[in-house]
Amino acid sequence: MSPEHIFSLTISGITVGMIYALIALGYTMVYGVLQLINFAHGEVFTVGGYIAASTLIWAGVDGTTPLAVKIGYFGLALLVSLVLTAALGWLIERLAYRPLRQQSRIIALLAAIGTSIFLQNMLVIVFGPQPIIMPTAIVPTGFVEVFGARIRVLQVIIIVVSLVLMALLTWIVKGTRMGKAMRATSQDREAAEMMGIETNLTISFTFVMGSSLAAIGGFLVAMYYGSLQFNTGFLYGLKAFTAAVLGGIGNIPGAVVGSLILGLAENWGVGLTLELLAWLFVLGVLVGLYFQLVRAPRRRVAHIAEEFRTPEYESRVRNVYLFAPVLAVKTLFSERTDALVYVSAQHAVRLMLGNAILAAVAIAFFMAGDIQFSSKWQHVISFVVLMAILMFRPSGILGENIVEKV
Amino acid sequence: MPDVILEVRSATKSFGGLKAVNNLSFDIYEGEILSLLGPNGSGKTTTFNIITGLYEPDSGDILMQGESIAGLDPGQIYARGISRTFQMLRLFSNMSVLENVLVGMHGRTKANVLDCMFRTPKMRREEVQSVERAREILAMFPGRFPLARHMQPAASLSYANRRRLEIARALAGEPKLLLLDEPVAGMNPAESLEVMQQIKDLRDRGYTILMIEHDMKVIMGASDRVIAMDHGVKIAEGAPLDVANDPAVVEAYLGRRGADAAS
Amino acid sequence: MAEMTARVSGFFGRMPRWVYVVIALALAIAFPLLEQFGLMQTLWLRLGTRVLVYVLLAVGLNLVLGETGLLHLGYVAFFAVGAYTTAILSSPRFGIQWNFWVIVALAMGLSMLFGFLIAVPTLRLRGDYLAIVTLAFGEITRMTLNNWETLTNGPGGIPGIYPPNIFGWTVDSPLEFFYVLLVAVVIVIYLLGNVKDSRIGRAWNALREDEIAAHHSGVRPMRAKMLAVVMSSGIAGLAGAIFAYYQQFINPTYFLFMQSTIVVCMVVLGGMGSIPGAVLGAVVLDATPEVIRQAFTTWLPGAFGRDFLPGVQSALQTDFDRYRMAIFGLVIVLMVIFRPEGLLPNKLWKREVHEEDPRELEKTHQHLFDFEEGKQDLEV
Repeated sequence: MSPEHIFSLTISGITVGMIYALIALGYTMVYGVLQLINFAHGEVFTVGGYIAASTLIWAGVDGTTPLAVKIGYFGLALLVSLVLTAALGWLIERLAYRPLRQQSRIIALLAAIGTSIFLQNMLVIVFGPQPIIMPTAIVPTGFVEVFGARIRVLQVIIIVVSLVLMALLTWIVKGTRMGKAMRATSQDREAAEMMGIETNLTISFTFVMGSSLAAIGGFLVAMYYGSLQFNTGFLYGLKAFTAAVLGGIGNIPGAVVGSLILGLAENWGVGLTLELLAWLFVLGVLVGLYFQLVRAPRRRVAHIAEEFRTPEYESRVRNVYLFAPVLAVKTLFSERTDALVYVSAQHAVRLMLGNAILAAVAIAFFMAGDIQFSSKWQHVISFVVLMAILMFRPSGILGENIVEKV
Repeated sequence: MPDVILEVRSATKSFGGLKAVNNLSFDIYEGEILSLLGPNGSGKTTTFNIITGLYEPDSGDILMQGESIAGLDPGQIYARGISRTFQMLRLFSNMSVLENVLVGMHGRTKANVLDCMFRTPKMRREEVQSVERAREILAMFPGRFPLARHMQPAASLSYANRRRLEIARALAGEPKLLLLDEPVAGMNPAESLEVMQQIKDLRDRGYTILMIEHDMKVIMGASDRVIAMDHGVKIAEGAPLDVANDPAVVEAYLGRRGADAAS
Repeated sequence: MAEMTARVSGFFGRMPRWVYVVIALALAIAFPLLEQFGLMQTLWLRLGTRVLVYVLLAVGLNLVLGETGLLHLGYVAFFAVGAYTTAILSSPRFGIQWNFWVIVALAMGLSMLFGFLIAVPTLRLRGDYLAIVTLAFGEITRMTLNNWETLTNGPGGIPGIYPPNIFGWTVDSPLEFFYVLLVAVVIVIYLLGNVKDSRIGRAWNALREDEIAAHHSGVRPMRAKMLAVVMSSGIAGLAGAIFAYYQQFINPTYFLFMQSTIVVCMVVLGGMGSIPGAVLGAVVLDATPEVIRQAFTTWLPGAFGRDFLPGVQSALQTDFDRYRMAIFGLVIVLMVIFRPEGLLPNKLWKREVHEEDPRELEKTHQHLFDFEEGKQDLEV
């Protein structure tokens, strides 16, 4: 790949990342105040895009419309979409989530999923299953040349608009009374209420703000790709949620960082081949082995009585790794409870099982060499990333910012 | 001197920079009621949590009958004979009173999935025994859990009865050592007295008890020994009256000027 | 109103449980005979067979969602594993036809293995993260089926699945499949009912109510949850295997995320943690839309003339699935808000979920139950 190509991939990565960020902020803010994955947020995003696009279609913008009028319509579409989408976000919270404040998270999440299904299918019923096409006349078409790579003007606009919105959001959260109320509510709702903060209002405001950002995101995506489909929001929503968790849920800068990483990884990942992936897996297995053999015994030892916390134990764990199956059988049939043998054998069997699974995955990748690694696997990759983050580092890169009640 | 059942050896646990429990050591003797006393935030509940495996101590060790249990998980510690109750009630509210106690026996019963699927004679026998034992345990609180109440959801019980049910659930694990976190919190004086009497009865039945309590009447009336804590450190240990009059304890509760005034 | 429902439920509550089981079973056994005697179109028998597949799925998911309180959004993936195992091992695609029992065992075994593999790393997660991970897992499975063309033939699917041969009996009509499924459903429900009513079932419920307290009572959360996930995966695998045999053709569109949510909806509607509820949920949600569609497209126009509500007819013909799903979404929301215990709740669960404020609850119960005790206390 040429440097220009990499540079333009980077720019598209940042563009997509910024859009993810606009959606991810909504997830992260709501999770912060309510500890709820607002599953319907992806649909709110789609609705925003649909409203903007249909306003422009209704206005009949085409190539002959003068620029000033175009800008006027653009502003109108933005305004209509913002107002209606914000109202939708407010309504969802008011009707579906507020009655469930006292219930467990699973119950609230079920309501969110129900809302999402409802909205998605209503979109089809109202607009039909075919994608809605953005009038091309409204989309800026120019290019700028940077370092020999051609960058779309629209990309620059998306990045700039997103940055401005994020700065605005940061100011609201850090610098205004409402922001202070939001932060207080996310720490402890009851205490905030007792301090005279209107928590219901604050939560509604959070939804309104998140939905507005999502609406702008929907508008930008519709312009960027030229069209939107009823189920676009499902995938975008999941990816944005991934980004929010990647950065650390409840953490506003984290959502932006996570989104950028995800956007860049997706775009750079196009150059990835399956073979490379298989080698990465092998590398992963080797690194895992190293940690298990050399580092992990120390941590396991902490669980065992004082007398075993010795270097001998560690070396035995390493040896035992080789003879684990024999030892495992032996401990099964012997009444003697030699804690050292027992624990180390159990430990080793578990490790071997884990490594066998990883190795099997790597081998499967090699064997399935005929699978062309193309863009259709791109979503699979982001889902794998999502699962990996949630499983191995659920607190994200910048750390999560939520209050767990024990 | 009776045998030591549990030893805490210079246990330390910190959260961020705060040392919630700092180099704490004490012994519990078989068959005694030992109370932990101290102002809020002095590390009593954290002590409970590191004994029962909710947290792992950063350093130090905990020995149950001579064996280290530091770093084991709550289930394993339960299996070694330590059961507990919680300061904020943690009952299985949508399960019946009897089921709550039966869950407490989970680790003491053996039937596996296949036994349960096919209701083997072994499983039936065990089930019948469990229910009988559960009824016995509930009968230890005379008049509080009549048969009619056994099938009610735990959430329908009164507050005081829920506290009692939690103790019953802990007893179902056939513990050697029972940890009670503020057993009379939120009760009226009459109820406190009753629970205090019940705790003493439990000791007389052979249980060893470690409890956290704020109610001085209960501490004075029930405990054999008292340990006072402040800022995660043990500041006094001994007979209830001695600890209550210890200047360091008075200071921890009332501050320096209060302590001066009191002396 | 409340009095009336109380009276009705009082009447039904007095009957022993086996009466209902016998009635339900008798109805189920008699149902296909209607078709046999020409009283019903085959269409309805096919619907009944599909309902039974959903019953299996709902009962299986109930184990995870209702009993153990884990929100699993990728359940259909295990269904897919079972179905594809069958399709690959008993179709012209690779020209092989293995024995029915071997295939069913393999389908269940593979689904359970997948369930185990996905559970090992994910069960430690917070409940809501678990939901997202399982969702992602379901989507990955579907996309893999879609893209791994050498094995699964991608979007084209696998046609021509051979009918199963059970002890020399070749099952190939909807009627026969109905009874095979019915037997599977009865066995699964019987075994699960036993487990639910044992120390293991109680451990699951305890985990749903309060994981920390359960752990302190000697329940090992990882093990117990793992067991629930693996068992429910096995049930989905079984359902998938029979489904593939019955359908004779499968492709990835049978295993969309939507299918997982439909099953979730069935469990929620019927009552989480209640096996009869799961059965009822499956029956209601799968049969009702079909009945409505038939009513508006065939019966009512037949009775009132061809142009009876033509708008509704055409809407039902084109967007039927969409309306159905929109209503399902709404049903989930309304159920969790107004009747979270479901239509056929577990006995105990229903008393609790309506109380909103624990303090309020405490006051009423204090009043109800402790009145006499309070008097005693005063005398002490």
